[in-house]
Amino acid sequence: MNKHVGSGRALRPGRGKGGKTPRGRQVDETALCEVRALLADRPRRRDLLIEFLHLIQDEYRCLSAAHLAALAAEMRLAQAEVYEVASFYDHFDVVREGETAPPPLTIRVCDSISCMMAGSDALIDGLKAGTDPAEIRVVHAPCMGRCDTAPAARIGDREVDHATVDMLLDMAVNGETGVNVPGYTGLEAYRADGGYALVEHVRNGKVSADELIAKLSDAGLRGLGGAGFPAGTKWKFVRSYAGPRLMTINGDEGEPGTFKDRWYLERDPHRTLEGAIVAAHAVEAERIYFYMRDEYPAVLEILRTEIAALEKAGVIDQGFIELRRGAGAYICGEESAMIESIEGKRGLPRHRPPYIAEVGLFGQPTLNHNVETLWWIRDIVEKGPEWFAGQGREGHPGMRSWSVSGRVREPGVKLAPAGVTVRELIDDYCGGMVDGHGFKAYLPGGASGGILPASMDDVPLDFGGRLAELNAFVGSHAVVVLSDRDSIRDVTRNLLEFFSHESCGQCTPCRGGTEKMVQLLKRDTLDEEALRDLEAVMRDASICGLGQAAPNPVNHLLTHFREDL
Amino acid sequence: MTSNITFTLDGREVAAAPGETIWDVAKREGNTLPHLCHVDKPGYRADGNCRACVVEIEGERTLAASCIRKPTGGMKVKTAGERSEKARAMVFELLAADMPARDDGPDNQSAFWDWTDRMGISVTDRLPSKFSPAEPGEHDISNPAIAVNLDACIACGACVRACREVQVNDVIGMGGRGHHSAPVFDIHDPMGLSTCVTCGECVQACPTGALYEKTLMDDDGRRRAVQAFDRAVDSVCPFCGVGCQTTVYVKDDRIVQVDGRDGPANENRLCVKGRFGFDYVHSPERLTKPLIRRDDAPKAADIDLTGVDPMTVFREATWEEALQRAAGGLAKVRDRDGPSAMAGFGSAKGSNEEAYLFQKLVRQGFGTNNVDHCTRLCHASSVAALLEGVGSGAVSAPFTDAMHADCIIVIGARPGQNHPVAATYFKQAAKRGKKLIIMDPRGQGLMRHASHALQFKPGTDVAMLNALLHVIVEEKLYDEQYVQANVSGFEALKEKVKDFPPEAMAEVCGIEAAVLRNVARTYATSERSIIFWGMGVSQHTHGTDNARCLIALALITGQVGRQGTGLHPLRGQNNVQGASDAGLIPMFYPDYKPVGAEDIRSKYEDVWGRPLDPQRGLTVVEIVDAIHEGTVKAMYIMGENPAMSDPDQLHARAAFAKLEHLVVQDIFLTETAWHADVVLPASAHAEKLGTYTNTNRQVQVGRPALPLPGEARQDWELIVELANSIGLDWSYGGVNEVYDEMAALMPSLGGIGWDKLVGEDSVTYPLSSKTGLSEWVIFGEGFPTADGKGKLVPADLLAPDEVPDADYPMVLTTGRLLEHWHTGAMTRRSDVLAELEPEGIAAMNPREIDRNGMEPGQMISIATRRGTIHARLRADREVADGMVFVPFCFNEAPANRLTNPQLDPFGKIPEFKFCAARVEALAAGREAAE
Repeated sequence: MNKHVGSGRALRPGRGKGGKTPRGRQVDETALCEVRALLADRPRRRDLLIEFLHLIQDEYRCLSAAHLAALAAEMRLAQAEVYEVASFYDHFDVVREGETAPPPLTIRVCDSISCMMAGSDALIDGLKAGTDPAEIRVVHAPCMGRCDTAPAARIGDREVDHATVDMLLDMAVNGETGVNVPGYTGLEAYRADGGYALVEHVRNGKVSADELIAKLSDAGLRGLGGAGFPAGTKWKFVRSYAGPRLMTINGDEGEPGTFKDRWYLERDPHRTLEGAIVAAHAVEAERIYFYMRDEYPAVLEILRTEIAALEKAGVIDQGFIELRRGAGAYICGEESAMIESIEGKRGLPRHRPPYIAEVGLFGQPTLNHNVETLWWIRDIVEKGPEWFAGQGREGHPGMRSWSVSGRVREPGVKLAPAGVTVRELIDDYCGGMVDGHGFKAYLPGGASGGILPASMDDVPLDFGGRLAELNAFVGSHAVVVLSDRDSIRDVTRNLLEFFSHESCGQCTPCRGGTEKMVQLLKRDTLDEEALRDLEAVMRDASICGLGQAAPNPVNHLLTHFREDL
Repeated sequence: MTSNITFTLDGREVAAAPGETIWDVAKREGNTLPHLCHVDKPGYRADGNCRACVVEIEGERTLAASCIRKPTGGMKVKTAGERSEKARAMVFELLAADMPARDDGPDNQSAFWDWTDRMGISVTDRLPSKFSPAEPGEHDISNPAIAVNLDACIACGACVRACREVQVNDVIGMGGRGHHSAPVFDIHDPMGLSTCVTCGECVQACPTGALYEKTLMDDDGRRRAVQAFDRAVDSVCPFCGVGCQTTVYVKDDRIVQVDGRDGPANENRLCVKGRFGFDYVHSPERLTKPLIRRDDAPKAADIDLTGVDPMTVFREATWEEALQRAAGGLAKVRDRDGPSAMAGFGSAKGSNEEAYLFQKLVRQGFGTNNVDHCTRLCHASSVAALLEGVGSGAVSAPFTDAMHADCIIVIGARPGQNHPVAATYFKQAAKRGKKLIIMDPRGQGLMRHASHALQFKPGTDVAMLNALLHVIVEEKLYDEQYVQANVSGFEALKEKVKDFPPEAMAEVCGIEAAVLRNVARTYATSERSIIFWGMGVSQHTHGTDNARCLIALALITGQVGRQGTGLHPLRGQNNVQGASDAGLIPMFYPDYKPVGAEDIRSKYEDVWGRPLDPQRGLTVVEIVDAIHEGTVKAMYIMGENPAMSDPDQLHARAAFAKLEHLVVQDIFLTETAWHADVVLPASAHAEKLGTYTNTNRQVQVGRPALPLPGEARQDWELIVELANSIGLDWSYGGVNEVYDEMAALMPSLGGIGWDKLVGEDSVTYPLSSKTGLSEWVIFGEGFPTADGKGKLVPADLLAPDEVPDADYPMVLTTGRLLEHWHTGAMTRRSDVLAELEPEGIAAMNPREIDRNGMEPGQMISIATRRGTIHARLRADREVADGMVFVPFCFNEAPANRLTNPQLDPFGKIPEFKFCAARVEALAAGREAAE
């Protein structure tokens, strides 16, 4: 039905007023001046977005909407492009108009597995009870890579071991919140000990790239970030693609239970840097991007200092190694997500193929290595591949750095052969179990590697092999030892809560699967069929390893620990 | 060239072309795999995130998303099987777990639910929702057209790609992480308060209805209310010259939804006007009965019927009486005072057929060439320069060729507002690394994407463009071979531009010499460069000179006649190209055949059976002057609103009031109709059949979706009625017969028959005489000029007619807003558009506002030597210091009361873009009275 009345009336203004400004948030001149002052003469490159967000967050302790809009204008980005990145990372606090900015001081308490076992819940409760939320903010945080000194915390920029409520409150009162850099081998000492001779040798042709590759291959050096890909083969692949090539160092050591990279960088950073320069030379990478997680402020400070020292000493050209700071996102330990993050974006893993060796950072062929992998290069060349390979167990060449934590008497980074068993790690390297705790189960490879019962204490721990048959893996060699006082169901829930918090959210199986698993695990009665169905879709259809491995603990809980259900 | 590869799909050997994904091949093979995040439409990148399309690949540990995975030779792919089918079903179950029940959600017919039906998935409640009553999904109805219900969102990012990669409006982002991931507007702002331009691309892309049209929903914007449509009509958008193809959905004789169709100019995209501005046709203000001016209603220049009962001025009449009165008045003046007392304004909003009939009526029936339309106010100078330089007023290449160009210049145009869908191509090209050079005295959103943004001083176009020519000549960046073969007048141009070194012009135009040199080099040396311009170039007293400079740039560098190169004046109205082609201009018969040419005229005299006026007719502004002079006494105005669009509005309105007889045919009682003796209620775009020619030379078909309201009649029928009432003898069986007659007279439409048009919906003219295929790019082999060469015409500096002084210290410039179309007659009667931009505004730079001691949001007055208006002040960083911008669509703050009617000597176009003005704050009391 037509309802035209045909009045033929003339046009009148619409309801309401016209806007005082064009649509949307306008750029605030003051905020723009402040942002320009912070950015100074830095190039307004898109890939520096996260660095710029850090500049603002460090200065103003939050990211106000006004500053975000100003930064967007200054970088010729859309507001949404800036916001979506800022809101992806834990260490950025976006404060929109009308919202309250966080208080001056933040205490982060690690609630990942080893710290949970060491009482982080009580620590958090105690802190919350003892602080004024207007002055101090107490927040849960994922693994801080200090699992051997659990519970770990961070007050301001200071990392705290064996944290207690009183200790942290005292530090707050005394203003002990700055970075605490431990003593380490600096450039001079490292050079005095023959450091950077290898760099010279590869540069003057004494050691060729092919020789290096052969040595790494003979040594059996594998990627120690978790995937275990043979290092020499990786170099060959990257070299096979037309340049320009780039290199990245993955310092986003976020796998709960893992702290070896921090351990090395806080003691002997140049060994990794030298390995990196050698690797870059071998694949003719034009530049190295060192991506370091923001959870390690001391390491960041060390790297800042030592990279500058290398430039000053003329070992590297200005800007050859660019330090990039993470911002609180476990997923950026996944190499393609890390690359996205270096490009200044949300850390979403990329689809493969293509692999980053072919299409990596800024679309260029990219060699990516873990901190520890690079750490071994000098020793392998100097001492020979046989030396390295020979230290492993039969069929498991090489030396590994095991991050052992949990219910052992002497947790820490343990240098032990590849193929070692958990029993050996506990008894021979860690002084046995903590008094009163009986060995019940262990995580062979951090949160993702699954949970095995003590009855499987004879499994050689290495990439593939029997562990793989058990649907477990060694990953970053983070062994968390659980005892008869630990409920595997609680442990599983903690791990899944971690994955749910750290899922990037890109694909349905991981985004929804981790979140649903947590909800199901909280119920009194487990719907095992639903959990198994979730496990299947996550394992089969997730884009990256996070979602594919996240159900491992659930699988093992339902398989090996039925008494804990 | 990469060749096809062969792989095995479900046991069968199949071939994949380079770039094809497994999903593409499966679909081609008749097996469309489930897909949610993958929008299978032009411009959408597959993202592979929802995992609804996973398949099994032999030898791979995990399943692969078929939408993003390209097959390799010998690969064995299984689309069916327990693993992949279970994974897909679980994906749907996971997503459904967070959604409201189907009938409680925003769109129970969404692609999501459609797939659950097709896959036989029944939703269970074994998986808990991530939402709870305490933490529900976000519900945002702050946008007037679109409801956001994030409880139905599956975070597939289709909206993000729609906004950022397809339309490149860059408003939507994916905020948060993990299961908190959700689309956000700007910095997580309510949609209605964000920078969103309401193009609705996200709505069209969303597979769940999480972003959905309010017109289809209940009042709360939570559930779909319109379940079935009565019909879906394929048509074309009624607004700008882009010519987006649409599908119009109708329920109970009301348009309830408009979607973009895959037309050559829009590839499914639309803007806010095309998608949400359709409801003007349903306005209660539509004219539905013929009106005759009451004997006791005198005419006056300052008559204002805003808020007045029109029946105090008009009375309703029967069609018989109205037509008799209309025709009788026209015939009387013609017979008494002769053809020169007659004039007609047709419309660039009507169809080609209407335009053809209208000019035929004026020429054959009135006996005069006094017929014109608003092209005079838009691109007359561009057309003058183009006809002079390259022998054709049409574009040389479509705007979609921006995607093939290496360098794109956009000057004096704001396509983001005025040609939003064309702008998407420019932005996409820039995103792909093509050089985008924007030249405009006002800043604009497009500049964010530009490699070069030149905010030059208003009115200094020729200085800037001659400086570019200077560099090209001085540095020998021109294409000598091309010039020799295809261009005349190069020596004179060389001589002229010697006087314009960038170092000297920098101060004049406000752009550094180094930038000018860089731009000149970029344009000249790029493999393919193309120029787009708008009314910032044409609407000046030196508009023709501006266009001559642009033509010279293209001709001397050979940047024309190839794909990705050329000259493209972005035409304003949906059919301004077609109306001009059809002869709705005083100098030309259809196809720009000069009325003064003996041979042409005699051909038309044969066809139309009477002697025709050998003199060129008067143009729009000249007709107004001729009325004042007492020459023109009667007019027929169809679908045109010169009382709003002409410069120096009071002067123009006084002219219409002075007419002895004015017949206005329209769908609303426009400001022009206030002065009419007879008003004929006519057909809206959505009610009629006809063809429209867009800026790309694409002739497209508009189809009726709605019946006419009340007693309103088809425009073309009314023209025929009037013709026959003033002594002609026309007989057409339908629109197609009008088209046939017109096309037979127009070589440009050669080979494009009605059936072909209706069958293909869009045909680009001309067709190649050799291949019979459309020539998207013309001038490949010379130019349709007498000597086959492009003609260079040097241009000199000419200051704007009226420059700022002590009394009027500011520069007033006029133009459009995204939401409002032309004089606002249509768009201000659309609820959505009127809500977005409800009232007259004037925009100034925040610094300038401060300096003047004003406050954004207050009422100010803007005065020029011709008049004063009041408008609400808007702070806009894009407006340069010393300028005030006023859109001309608001009748309560009509910019054209202020503008300078001084004409460009060649194009006869007024200087809308520049005059001297004064702004003053209005006292608060005065504001309250507004």
